[in-house]
Amino acid sequence: MPTLVSIFDLPSDVANSVRKLKARGFDDLTTYSPAPFPEIEEAENPKPSGVRLWTLIGGLLGVTTGFAFQIWASLEWPIKIGGKAYTAIPPFWIIGFELTILFGGFATLFGLLAVGKLRPRKLDPHYSRRFSAEEFGVVVNCEGRDVAEIEALLREHSAKEVNVVDS
Amino acid sequence: MAPPPPATAVGDAMTPLPVPRDSRANIDIMAVTKGFHWPWFIALVLVLIGVAQAGLTLAYQTYWGFGVAGYQAPVFWGLYIVTFVFWIGIGHAGTLISAILFLFRAKWRNAVNRGAEALTVFAVLTAVLFPVLHLGRLWKLYYLLPYPNQRGLWVNFKSPLLWDVFAINTYMLISIVFFYIGLIPDIAMARDRATGVKKVVYTVLALGWQGTGVQWKAHSRAVLHLSGLATPLVLSVHSVVSWDFAMSVVPGWHATIFAPYFVAGAVFGGFAMVIVVLIPVRRIFKLERYLTDYHFENMSRFILLTSTICGYAYAMEYFIAWYSGVEAEQTSFWLRLFGPYWFSTWCMITFNVFFPQLLWIKRLRTNLPFLFVLCFFINLGMWFERYVIIITSLSREFITGAWGLYIVSPVELSILVGSFCWFSMWFLLFLKAFPVIAISEVKELIIHEKEHGGAH
Repeated sequence: MPTLVSIFDLPSDVANSVRKLKARGFDDLTTYSPAPFPEIEEAENPKPSGVRLWTLIGGLLGVTTGFAFQIWASLEWPIKIGGKAYTAIPPFWIIGFELTILFGGFATLFGLLAVGKLRPRKLDPHYSRRFSAEEFGVVVNCEGRDVAEIEALLREHSAKEVNVVDS
Repeated sequence: MAPPPPATAVGDAMTPLPVPRDSRANIDIMAVTKGFHWPWFIALVLVLIGVAQAGLTLAYQTYWGFGVAGYQAPVFWGLYIVTFVFWIGIGHAGTLISAILFLFRAKWRNAVNRGAEALTVFAVLTAVLFPVLHLGRLWKLYYLLPYPNQRGLWVNFKSPLLWDVFAINTYMLISIVFFYIGLIPDIAMARDRATGVKKVVYTVLALGWQGTGVQWKAHSRAVLHLSGLATPLVLSVHSVVSWDFAMSVVPGWHATIFAPYFVAGAVFGGFAMVIVVLIPVRRIFKLERYLTDYHFENMSRFILLTSTICGYAYAMEYFIAWYSGVEAEQTSFWLRLFGPYWFSTWCMITFNVFFPQLLWIKRLRTNLPFLFVLCFFINLGMWFERYVIIITSLSREFITGAWGLYIVSPVELSILVGSFCWFSMWFLLFLKAFPVIAISEVKELIIHEKEHGGAH
């Protein structure tokens, strides 16, 4: 199956070409960019990122853990302090809040690692250090018969280079 | 339309893409990490000596006991707690720039956020040493944490000191996570250009980052969510630190204004430290193209705003002390101004309230030598602020017979100097390991400018 590796200078060209490619049914593509550009991210994958679910679950787990742990420990060793109830809720908000942030923050990190498939590994064969300079890449896997159409489409959207490689 | 030029034939390929010119931002900013810079080396040697002398002092204090630090009734919270609060405060500007300004979409933060985040992490890493030093018996550190034990004892969850343990540790860990997540794309860029051992290290730390659309989307979401979490966190941390004082009944401490007063002071001192550190970095490593006068002017505006808030808080403290009619409170504040610690109080007021008012003048907001000197004095003033709050209050409580005079001991001074060296050591090492400016975020601005026809 051939792969087309194209190079762009501007994010809007990348976003437009990705939208066109997807509209034509060429879904097996990856973009590479040196900086975050929401238009490219949306064009490539318009679905909301799964990271938000990780953050939410982490935060909820944190606040639950914070309160449950303080209440349990205060009942385990009950001491009256300042005339407050053993399980006085207002002072427990502080640690409950801190653990919400702590668990939510770490869950966000793990969500990023899981959703972005981040782990030490071999890089994609078509990845180039140009993509960590100031250029953008669109890599499309396609059938041999579609090469000419995809190449024309990429060039129409200002791809400055298009290389066809066998994968 | 002219027909497109032919593509490379299928199967011809595996020709690697030609190596192009690199981005100027990559070259300029990564130049900081490369080569040998004499000012950097001399600074590193000096701070290592400073850390070593503090290490020896700590060994001396640990062996002989906490008494050598000079603590005696009535002041048991001395320079260690003063300096602890100072460093926690310094750690606030980074998160403000990274998280709060991110949520406000203030794009100017892109050039300064990495340096400020690094300062936050290193300031918090310095601050956390002090409660440990203050224990005297360092090996009892684990007493601070709630852990299961055979005696069935648990820590007091209603104590502000325990809240502080949770707040500071959460802040430290979340700051590190935030800092690392922001670094990943830049580490990947460095990986693509490194050789040898550096390449191996960067490859592991970059976690296979390639800047794909999926990765950037997850990254942007993660940064957004962490900003949302870090914003209330940063406001809570110094509030909780302030409650270490405000929850007690000590004159001068027992005030409801303490939380916002401490947070404003922290942002004030933090920005001043960012300016004090970034001005020499900009000069020595020739980063004028990225850290422009505009950035320093914006930070000066924050300093002016927070200085005014601090001035208001100082005034309110005195007003409430007078208005309360509580004699101990009134005496405490009178003695701050005219008692044995008058020098610290007047330094605090002069450096934190009067001097920064010069920033109303636009020409001074962009005059970097002036800003450097001003911010140096602000840092001094913020350290004196904590000294005034802690020392004057503890030495002049309710019963005059229990009053005492606190004198700084050489052991404390040695540790104080060591803490500045410890903080500087981490920052100097960071300068040579990672890009001090968030390159991917700067590129975002450069490419936007290119797209809209401007030069960059």
